[in-house]
Amino acid sequence: MVLRKYEEINSMQIDALREIGSIGTGNAATALSALLGCEVRIPLPEVQILEFNAAVEKLGGFETVSAGIISSLSGEINGLMLALLQLDAVNLFLGRMMGKSISDYSEMGELEGSAVIEVGNILISSFINALSGLSGVRISPSVPQISIDMQGAIITVPMAAYGSQSDYIMLIGGSFIVEGKQVPCRLLLAPDMRSLNYLLHRLGIDHE
Amino acid sequence: MNKITIGIADMKMAKKEGTLITYALGSCIGICLYDPVIHLGALVHIMLPINMETNRTSPLKYADTGIRLTLTRMEQMGALRTRIVAKIAGGAKMFEVATGSLGNIGQRNIESVHQVLQREHIRLLREDVGGNAARTLSFDVATGEAYIQAYGKQVTKL
Repeated sequence: MVLRKYEEINSMQIDALREIGSIGTGNAATALSALLGCEVRIPLPEVQILEFNAAVEKLGGFETVSAGIISSLSGEINGLMLALLQLDAVNLFLGRMMGKSISDYSEMGELEGSAVIEVGNILISSFINALSGLSGVRISPSVPQISIDMQGAIITVPMAAYGSQSDYIMLIGGSFIVEGKQVPCRLLLAPDMRSLNYLLHRLGIDHE
Repeated sequence: MNKITIGIADMKMAKKEGTLITYALGSCIGICLYDPVIHLGALVHIMLPINMETNRTSPLKYADTGIRLTLTRMEQMGALRTRIVAKIAGGAKMFEVATGSLGNIGQRNIESVHQVLQREHIRLLREDVGGNAARTLSFDVATGEAYIQAYGKQVTKL
């Protein structure tokens, strides 16, 4: 069955994506542990297909300021992947990496920005490596970019890119647990529909 | 005050009193349409420039069908096309490099909104478009005044 819209995806396919997400975030946890020099755990993430407005609400509302790290995907898959880090997550990483915390994003300099991009980069590339490894599909993520602003505007970037194909977006949500502290870890994946179908086909789950 | 929130690909109207508000416009555009004689205001939040859907299930997602549908709804509420004026905000570029296949969506949205307003003979009074910052747009239908709040900035009158 060829999907025309994200929302036609079935529960078995969601389970498969969750499994990929779990391997991806597992890899990310290992890489982050090495970067931060302490144990990082990311328990089983949940994968949800949400309508645009519901997705933004789920992530904490339109005007919440977040750091968005985005990478465009090319190769056999076209799409965008966005990692969203809210202030508590940013502080957790800056604290470990640079021994500092910020009370507002305006205190973030170039160095802090680079550190946050690196965390986003690890999250995105770990997920993409897991996806690519399990499906045998070649995917190259671009050099990531950062934007710090009201998250509603950041989240609409992947939505708008493929918005003519769907009113829904795929959210991979989990938490980082670092030294007993838990902060949310959110990834948004927006493949174009052709790519999503190709991916499901290569994973062998394109039939009901 | 009566505050009415407009989501993405959404439109709401109010007459005589109330504030229409849409949050965190990035590349999206918020279009305030107003008939000052009957104090009827509408705010539509579009995401993409042109509707190319075959079945057209979400007309408010696009500049062309979104604006036209809103104008029709306003006319049904007693507005006169010749009196309707517009103020717009949004169309920012959130990331430096083009993301996705559409290039600079914000810029394309701005151009499309301009074109549609011109074709529908709607006068564009004010705009705050482009740049790289998100904007929250609020629109007071009692007065027709609109306000912009960008992240880390003071509220400014549009």
